[in-house]
Amino acid sequence: MTIYNVTIANRDNAVYEVDARRPLLDSLRDQGVDLPYGCKYGGCITCAAKLTDGQVDQRRQVALNNRQIANGYVILCVARATSDITLEIGVESHGQLYRNPFLDPLKPHELKADLATPKDH
Amino acid sequence: MECCGPGYASPAEAIKAPREKLLYTIAIYTGTGIQKPDYLATVDVDPESPTYSQVIHRLEMPGIGDELHHMGWNACSSCFDDGSMSRKYLILPGVRSNNLHIVDTATDPRAPRLHKVIDGAEIKSKTDLSGPHTVHCLGSEIIISFLGDAKGEAPGGYLHLNKDFEIVGRWENSMGDIKFGYDFWYQPRHNVMVSSEWAAPNTFMPGFDLEEVGHLKYGRELHFWDFEKREPIESMYLGEDGLIPLEVKFHHDPDSTHGFCGAALSSNVIHWWKDDAGKWQWEKIIDVENEPHPEWPIPVPGVMSAILVSMDDKYLYLNNWLHGDMRQYDISDPHNPKLTGQVWMGGLLGKAPEVNGVKMAGGPQMFQLSLDGRRLYVTTSLFSTWDNQFYPEIREQGGVMVMIDCDPENGGMTLNPDFIVNFGNEPGGPARCHEMRYPGGDCTSDIWL
Ligand code: FES
Repeated sequence: MTIYNVTIANRDNAVYEVDARRPLLDSLRDQGVDLPYGCKYGGCITCAAKLTDGQVDQRRQVALNNRQIANGYVILCVARATSDITLEIGVESHGQLYRNPFLDPLKPHELKADLATPKDH
Repeated sequence: MECCGPGYASPAEAIKAPREKLLYTIAIYTGTGIQKPDYLATVDVDPESPTYSQVIHRLEMPGIGDELHHMGWNACSSCFDDGSMSRKYLILPGVRSNNLHIVDTATDPRAPRLHKVIDGAEIKSKTDLSGPHTVHCLGSEIIISFLGDAKGEAPGGYLHLNKDFEIVGRWENSMGDIKFGYDFWYQPRHNVMVSSEWAAPNTFMPGFDLEEVGHLKYGRELHFWDFEKREPIESMYLGEDGLIPLEVKFHHDPDSTHGFCGAALSSNVIHWWKDDAGKWQWEKIIDVENEPHPEWPIPVPGVMSAILVSMDDKYLYLNNWLHGDMRQYDISDPHNPKLTGQVWMGGLLGKAPEVNGVKMAGGPQMFQLSLDGRRLYVTTSLFSTWDNQFYPEIREQGGVMVMIDCDPENGGMTLNPDFIVNFGNEPGGPARCHEMRYPGGDCTSDIWL
């Protein structure tokens, strides 16, 4: 079993060990971290956190657009660690997650993956 | 005819019902940063009571993250002739969790209690549905629109529950070519149901990306169903006039074929009816102009997220969530509505930043009218992620419930100065309130057979 360390920057840098095969939401909640969630399948964004270091596999998420991904957001209910990582959790980390869609439109490459066109087009 | 079932013999009887004394609204913490369950709040709306205009009870859901939103009764006037039925249970779906909470409001109306939870995972595995929205009863049974399949993809379908809240299965026989689901209303004497379109849960739950409207990820059609056959028979393509058609309401008069839909993004009211040749027709009858805003590069759309028809079918109420106004139209001639009242509360245009001493976050959003048509209760939160995009200050300030006095004789509406419920002051922290219902049935629940 592969184990990685998760550091939670906005919880006094608390460190938790997680199984690389399990979604981060489950692993962290099992260890007592109080995290928001809703749908638990990667579609609703409620569980988003910000990844500030390391890598995750979040191929199953369908909630984030490419701008949110570029800003470091990860969907904890489906994301699995693929290295040691550092996260900011909870709505305190959601500063860039929500934007007024009329004032700050997305460019074609910033849409969700199923609609985005490559950046150089 | 036995007459001891729930509700009223007719809309005219409903109007004569005693004044509402209690009102239920859902209040949410999902998406707010407060790690507590959403709850059903009981609000005292009896002006003779010492706790008038206050939350007097809170029923917490068992878990966090539901996002309670709309709700519906187990029975309505459609069972008026059935003495074995009663309006006892309120069904509260969690849009994000897929859980259905069945709440007993009759044993103690002031302090509702949880009767049963239908687990969201069970609904997914038995019916391949997620993203519950509108609840209607259907004689002694219940149908609920779901906006997605178990993976959150459109168009979803309809869950059928029996009166003991057991899953019967899917209600519809076919979704035809329908691309999205949302709200629905039916008129049994004409064997018709009309349904509208929001988007797939995976599209709307994370928030609103405007570009996705152009990519056809949001709806622009209305669907007419053969109600008995449980399948769609005709779709109306509304185009630019009907972007994101949300709430659908028929006249309460069971003989009428007239109905209305609010297209949220176009901020138009669409009217439909059956013509003399028996063909369904539609037209746009209200068009709320976009308004300029000093900080916006384009004019602000109204975002008409809800509509309501008074029990006497004389007035249509609508909101403009981004502008900040509630409007009343006389629809005695449904082809030619006349604006008869307007009230400002919150909104982005800055016309009423404060109401009765409370700073507003959000704009008018959901509303419920008293059966006699004189009191309109209005709340300010739309949906957690969308609130966070347009009114981020609602996180600290919470939602608000206000009351508007309406004049059903001459038209007109004014803010009531004595009533306000500030959900920013809730004991668990600022909460957001959305849909409201009265114990005795209301203007958005009952259908007559
Ligand atoms: S809980 Fe919905 S996306 Fe994770």
